[in-house]
Amino acid sequence: MPENTSYMVAAYVITAVILVGYAVILYRRTLKP
Amino acid sequence: MLRHAWLLARKDLLVEFRSRTAILSAVVFTVLVLMVFNFGRDPTAIAAVDLAPSILWVTFTFAAMLALNRAFQLELENQALDGLLLAPISRSSIYLGKVIANLAFVAVVEGVGLPLFALFFNVRITPVLGPLMVVIALATIGFVAVGTLFSAMTSRTRFAELLLPVLLLPFMLPPLIWAVLATAALFAGRPLSEATGWLRLLAAFDIVFVTLAFVLFPATVNE
Amino acid sequence: MKLLKTGRWITAVGLVLLAAVYVRALAFTPVERTQGMAQKIFYLHLPAAIWAEGAMILVGVASIFFLFLKDPRLDRFAEASAEVGLVFCTLVLTTGPIWGKPIWGTWWTWDARLTLTLLLFLMYVGYLLLRGAVTDPGLKARYAAVLGICGMCLVPFVHLSVIMFRTLHPQPIVIKPSAPSLPGEMLETLAFSFLVFTVLWVGFVIQRYGLSLVREQAEPHA
Repeated sequence: MPENTSYMVAAYVITAVILVGYAVILYRRTLKP
Repeated sequence: MLRHAWLLARKDLLVEFRSRTAILSAVVFTVLVLMVFNFGRDPTAIAAVDLAPSILWVTFTFAAMLALNRAFQLELENQALDGLLLAPISRSSIYLGKVIANLAFVAVVEGVGLPLFALFFNVRITPVLGPLMVVIALATIGFVAVGTLFSAMTSRTRFAELLLPVLLLPFMLPPLIWAVLATAALFAGRPLSEATGWLRLLAAFDIVFVTLAFVLFPATVNE
Repeated sequence: MKLLKTGRWITAVGLVLLAAVYVRALAFTPVERTQGMAQKIFYLHLPAAIWAEGAMILVGVASIFFLFLKDPRLDRFAEASAEVGLVFCTLVLTTGPIWGKPIWGTWWTWDARLTLTLLLFLMYVGYLLLRGAVTDPGLKARYAAVLGICGMCLVPFVHLSVIMFRTLHPQPIVIKPSAPSLPGEMLETLAFSFLVFTVLWVGFVIQRYGLSLVREQAEPHA
């Protein structure tokens, strides 16, 4: 079985960054529009 | 409605041809693009026939963009659009008139560009001229229909010349790709049946988007 | 404002559940034989892709209703769906190539599905740019609706191209006429992930909708 864990990690990390990041951005925008 | 559209188209085209700047610059531009493509490639490395479809369509796309950019600028510069809206003609006539004028403009540029292309790149188009013209016609109608609709919206925005290509890009890419694929099949001498899939997509696209543009255009100019 | 509060709570729940998806996908789902660990990207990639496209369809539908009914709530919803759609589309465009590189050997190919996602991305960008470029609110809503409808109508065409074109992209294994050919546990993980992405989408859209509402109320119109 190919060892490509690093790609999986990269994708999972980026997904978390994008989703959490957007949540944070939205939260801050809605605090003081 | 058709009569009104025709009158409008005539008016636009007369204005264009009297000044002649737009048509001339479009033709010159086309020649320039073709020349650049010719000198930009290494003739020993890449056969002309491989690149030919792409070169042809890039050239036509640029020409269409030029035409569209001019379309509403003219009206806006003279506040003529407001006058048109007051006149007792339907919104759809205005749209149709614009489309006809744009189509005529692009058709002239394509009419000059195609023979030049065949000449510069040594491509034999006469055996496939019929189907090729169908492909060109279908793709051009698609571009112009959507482009005229969008230019009606962008011409009132701040960054009109930048915004129009950005908005248009996702809508031009599929027909462009289908046209290139169909053209490539034709130039390579493949049987016509291989190109029909793309032709059908082009035709369907045209039917859907021309109808859509007709229906939606009034929403862009109603007060 | 209540709407924002609701949106924030839903988003928070969604993010916690996302962590649960991560745990489930990584620790409690079997590893795929030929692709190894990289296949697990699928559990995030597919739900994101479904919502990236779904959001555009919703923008289109809301736009159609808006042009008929002229209800500003529909326009606000379209705007919210477009922005969230853009986020999810970005997700698809980043996770996709990362999955593709070890499996196909290349970051990108002009395969029809990838092209569709890229086009979708450009449509979202164009939609939001158009909204930004028009100052008059009435005009902005109408123009956006026109563009949204056109965008929604383009999507089926690119799908037709997908069908017509033999591609590198994995053939559909879940959403297809016959039964899904994914083994049980993987299917469950996928379904769970899709549920969570839906929750996140809802939470994001509600907050974004609320933001539009708050902004409108802050500036009284002449």
